Amino acid sequence: MAIDWPKTALEVLNEEPLVVKNPKTWYHIHTYGGWGQFFKGLRNKKILATRCTNPQCGEKRLWLPPRANCPDCWHDMQWVEAPQTGTIYTHSVVTYPGELFKLPPGTPLISVEIEGVCTKLMSWLKEGKPKFGMKIKAVFNTERPTNSILDLAWVPA
Amino acid sequence: MIKFGPGNLRIPKFEKPVYVVAGGLTDYRKKYPEKNTSELCTMALRMAVEENDLKVDPEEFRRMVNWVVYSQFADHFGDQLLAAAKIHDYLGFDPLGNIEVKTGGATGGSAVLAAAQAVASGYADCVPVVGWERMDEVTTKVGNSYIASAACKDFESELGWMYAAYYALMAQRYQYENNVPHETLARIACKNHLYAYYSPFSQNPGKYTVEDILKNDIVSDPLTFLECCVMSVGAAVLIVCDEKVANRLTDRPVRLTAICGGSHTLRTADRRHMPILLLPNETEATYKEYFTHKRTDWPGFSSFLASRMAAYLAYNMAGIKDPVEDFDLLETHDAFTISDVQTYEDIGLRPYGRGREFIESGEAYFEGKLPTNLSGGLIGTMHAVGATGIWQIVEVLWQLQGKYDKFHGDPKMWERYGKKKPADWKSLQLKNPKRACTISHAGTGSHVTCAILEKP
Ligand SMILES: [Zn+2]
Repeated sequence: MAIDWPKTALEVLNEEPLVVKNPKTWYHIHTYGGWGQFFKGLRNKKILATRCTNPQCGEKRLWLPPRANCPDCWHDMQWVEAPQTGTIYTHSVVTYPGELFKLPPGTPLISVEIEGVCTKLMSWLKEGKPKFGMKIKAVFNTERPTNSILDLAWVPA
Repeated sequence: MIKFGPGNLRIPKFEKPVYVVAGGLTDYRKKYPEKNTSELCTMALRMAVEENDLKVDPEEFRRMVNWVVYSQFADHFGDQLLAAAKIHDYLGFDPLGNIEVKTGGATGGSAVLAAAQAVASGYADCVPVVGWERMDEVTTKVGNSYIASAACKDFESELGWMYAAYYALMAQRYQYENNVPHETLARIACKNHLYAYYSPFSQNPGKYTVEDILKNDIVSDPLTFLECCVMSVGAAVLIVCDEKVANRLTDRPVRLTAICGGSHTLRTADRRHMPILLLPNETEATYKEYFTHKRTDWPGFSSFLASRMAAYLAYNMAGIKDPVEDFDLLETHDAFTISDVQTYEDIGLRPYGRGREFIESGEAYFEGKLPTNLSGGLIGTMHAVGATGIWQIVEVLWQLQGKYDKFHGDPKMWERYGKKKPADWKSLQLKNPKRACTISHAGTGSHVTCAILEKP
């Protein structure tokens, strides 16, 4: 019994030089692992950050994005609710986003400074025009969650 | 707070001196369907071996090689895992050992660092470093997505899928803190597009005015397309060796007196405030009045600790006291105009907050005190990522060897790539330069290498 030739072909885009199209259609199964609490927290309108539990650790600052392990001593961290107000540390309107961006071109990206948090979380501004030092508050996508960082956004406070 | 222990700031040293003797390039294009990746690497290797006035023939050179380092940023782009094995075989280097290095945009610099480590330790004495990137298999929009997957995919990539946006956030903050006019940033773009105009290898040459740059389409405000690096296809090769092999290969060896690496968090967000790490030309007094109500933290979003760390180590390793005085030329990783100004400060050309002066004073130009990116940079000539850090060192090697004209001015070199040498071509060969520096940079400053080359 002979085996049939394949039924699908690589599409030829150009003859000289010969250029073909290699299709890609699969997905990746991605775990958030120990950071999953953060994304689940957004469903309950909570911003969950982490703090080191090691009594010997010198720093103990509040991390957001959260880390399951402390970068200073590698010990486990503890989940702590972060404030839901902050200020705009920097901003930019992205006119030509890359493929996969789920928001429209012209969406303002912001970095948020939150009191007591040692980082400046990258996020987006859902309403208004961004300005340095502008006071903002968190809003949550609980209607149709994307289960990504986009479920957190900010509006003028 | 990052607190350094004594081991953390140990100055690296080479057990044996390391030299670079020859380099080879392809031209750089947005799309390059005429050649596959293996062929591009062969083109660059042949130029290195056949056109650098080596004192041995190619076959003899092949018999001298004992280790090879490969440099490619993203398997996503090439869509071929273990591409290095395929290229190593194609170049006829089997069964010699080899490694492939990956540190994002700094991959080329890190690959040269790995080759230098091999030579300095005595593990090898003749090491080709071969880098490439093939960015034309996908659309530009998908390409930007691939590049943005080199940001944190859990917490940042989704916000734009666009690296220019992450640099735009830094640009806005930098301008807010330091009050830098957009015109100053645009002057960097003008300069580098212009120098690319004199290079047969360049992808995006042009004689632009500051106004042209500012009126160009905005990618993510404030950055316009002409202020951003190109996405390229192409390859570059550098030959790294010890002193004995260097003298056998060439009459004009150049010593790699230092090449050092630094790093910082992949997410700009996670950069905690810390004391400024001082370079040899700075003291605590330099920054007595640095912090203000606007400049609240360091490195913050305005500075790259990775670049500062790499420069700190390399300057101390090579005995550099003042970079503007001690270097005769410089190649920075000008992926964006803003990152160039930031880098001027990180590597001590000006104190933090005053980077604009380096371009505004004219020092950064061909006629200036420290000509920068005479190659045309990433904005004008190329960013075939895995090749970039290698290409930068090849360009300064040729300058130090007095071979700029040979590789950029020969009309046949232009014809080789289907181009015509411009009637108003001008030589950018510096007069007897002695010492050069190159900066290779990844992410929003996740990895940086600083290399120092010197004529013996
Ligand atoms: Zn800790």
